[in-house]
Amino acid sequence: MSLLSLEHVSVAYDNRLILEDFNLSLQKGQLLSLLGPSGCGKTTTLRLIAGFLNAEAGNFMFSGKDYTKVPVEKRNFGFVFQSYALFPHLSVFDNVAFGLRLRKLKEAEVKKRVNRMLETVSLGGFEKRLPGALSGGQRQRVAIARALVIEPDLLLFDEPLSNLDANLRVNMRVEIRRIQQELGITTVYVSHDQEECFSISDQVAVMNNGKIEQLDHPANIFKYPASEFVARFIGFGNFIAFDGRNDEGADIELSRGELKFQAAKRPGGEGNTGLLGAIRPDDLQLLGAGADMGTGTEGNALTGKVQVSTYLGRSYQYQVETELGVFTVNQEMEQPFIQGQQVTVYFPKEKLVLVQ
Amino acid sequence: MRMNKRVLLLLLPGLLFLAAFMLVPITLTIASTFVQDGKLTLEGYLYFFRDGYFNRILLTTLRVSVVTTLVCMVLGYPAAYYISRASARKKSLLLALSIFPLLTSPVVRSFSWMIILGKKGLINSFLVNTGLIAKPLDILYTPTAMMIGLVHLFLPLIIITLLGVMENLDHELVRAARSLGASPFAAFRKITFPLTVPGLIIGGILVFVGSLTAYTTPALLGGKERVVSTFLYQNAMTLNDWQAASVIAVIMIVITFVVVGLMNAWANRLNPKG
Ligand SMILES: Nc1ncnc2c1ncn2[C@@H]1O[C@H](COP(=O)(O)OP(=O)(O)O)[C@@H](O)[C@H]1O
Ligand SMILES: [Mg+2]
Repeated sequence: MSLLSLEHVSVAYDNRLILEDFNLSLQKGQLLSLLGPSGCGKTTTLRLIAGFLNAEAGNFMFSGKDYTKVPVEKRNFGFVFQSYALFPHLSVFDNVAFGLRLRKLKEAEVKKRVNRMLETVSLGGFEKRLPGALSGGQRQRVAIARALVIEPDLLLFDEPLSNLDANLRVNMRVEIRRIQQELGITTVYVSHDQEECFSISDQVAVMNNGKIEQLDHPANIFKYPASEFVARFIGFGNFIAFDGRNDEGADIELSRGELKFQAAKRPGGEGNTGLLGAIRPDDLQLLGAGADMGTGTEGNALTGKVQVSTYLGRSYQYQVETELGVFTVNQEMEQPFIQGQQVTVYFPKEKLVLVQ
Repeated sequence: MRMNKRVLLLLLPGLLFLAAFMLVPITLTIASTFVQDGKLTLEGYLYFFRDGYFNRILLTTLRVSVVTTLVCMVLGYPAAYYISRASARKKSLLLALSIFPLLTSPVVRSFSWMIILGKKGLINSFLVNTGLIAKPLDILYTPTAMMIGLVHLFLPLIIITLLGVMENLDHELVRAARSLGASPFAAFRKITFPLTVPGLIIGGILVFVGSLTAYTTPALLGGKERVVSTFLYQNAMTLNDWQAASVIAVIMIVITFVVVGLMNAWANRLNPKG
């Protein structure tokens, strides 16, 4: 049974529905990410779970109980805000102690727990500082410590790393995952950064326009996006609209006019529905015109001409014009193709996926 | 910190203006109060503090100013809080309503209060006609009338000052407190209030200084009751005693500084950062 579930929930701001008939559930101890572009309703979902917002319709169940009407302060959920929301007039110690003191713990116990938590986030020695005298990364860790020290039943993160610089972001996300797993604490994590979500999550829910487009293990989403939106969002830059498909053989046979393509079936069978083929720029291969492509590669290839070639550092990126439009290809090579060169674009059948 | 020296030149016109029209006259005024018949003396001050009439005036003034300030704080704070949390449309309406009194002159407003508070005024006619009291109350021409007039005068000021601070309060902080287990009241007490205390103090200082130095309202609503500012005016204009007027002016300045200092100390106690 799931620890948390949103059932047919609707949320509106000023009579404008942001979430409609929204459903979500999460197992105990797991970290679920909500991933999606800005404005798709991630924060709204998180605030609803936290209790900052009321649903117009639907229920929020937690641990088998109806939490829909339970006020924020009775939920015992930790919330880490994008802006950190540290109390500017309280020291680091008092910020972290805030929730414990509200729980009427003895001051000696408060001190013990706060100090232990500050050690966990490597902030020993900073107790007396005011938040204004901390760096971004340190504030972030105070915010996490403050949310964790109350031993919450659920931890909620709203884009906690978006105000940090790139290096720190990577370190902090590893840190967040480590603490989350160590304490076995169920977590909902919001971000618009796919790498961040994929790297730390047990489950990722890709959201678009107030709806969950796909909810799955990160590796499955990465390989098998279910919809065009998800595919585009996670970097499938190339699409072919097919007009026929046949699933009878070992592979899926696809056609577009006279052109034939094959896509490998997904192990396990499900997914790969729809008629829109999608493939990442990294997975396309570019060959010089007339190069020997070996056997089994009739089809799954298009001839074209290099329009633009740019250097990305590790690889080159090409825009190749073909009869099915322009394709983007990233390829590592010593001798790059030049603009205007005739090439063949090859679509490995294991990498070609079908989306709705 | 390094700063382009020439930028400092920009301060010069303002500084010159202040020096010519404020520092110099004030210094001369203060200096003159310590000199009598060509000798340095505190006689000017001792004279006033020995005088029972002046002490009563001073006490009335302080009482009126302190009560006005406290009433403005108590009435202004919840009003400003409510306005700051209102929706955008409601907010501009409420703001316009609370600023509106500022657009009428203190003279007109004092006359309105005279109509309301007088022996045959609205309040007394109502109370007498309904039989609640037998004889009309003495409200007009008392310190109470002054306080009512001054609260009306300065309430918008403290509301606007507080609103500035409350609008700047990050509401995320209140949510953070709630998520950590604070009831709405606890979140207010531990977060909202301490962080808005600076506004309360600044507003309080403005109201106090304003009440202390107000002339029109106490003059019109106080009748024969004097406050320091009307007494000062009387000494300077009616009695033509500029020496006495200067001494009174210096006493007012000192009171202002002492009160501002006390309120700042209080603010620092409540909010270490403010
Ligand atoms: N307080 C609010 N009042 C009105 N509309 C809001 C408010 N907060 C968010 N919205 C709208 O709700 C939608 C979803 O917002 P949000 O949940 O913050 O998105 P995300 O966190 O995914 O960027 C957006 O269209 C946004 O404009
Ligand atoms: Mg957001």
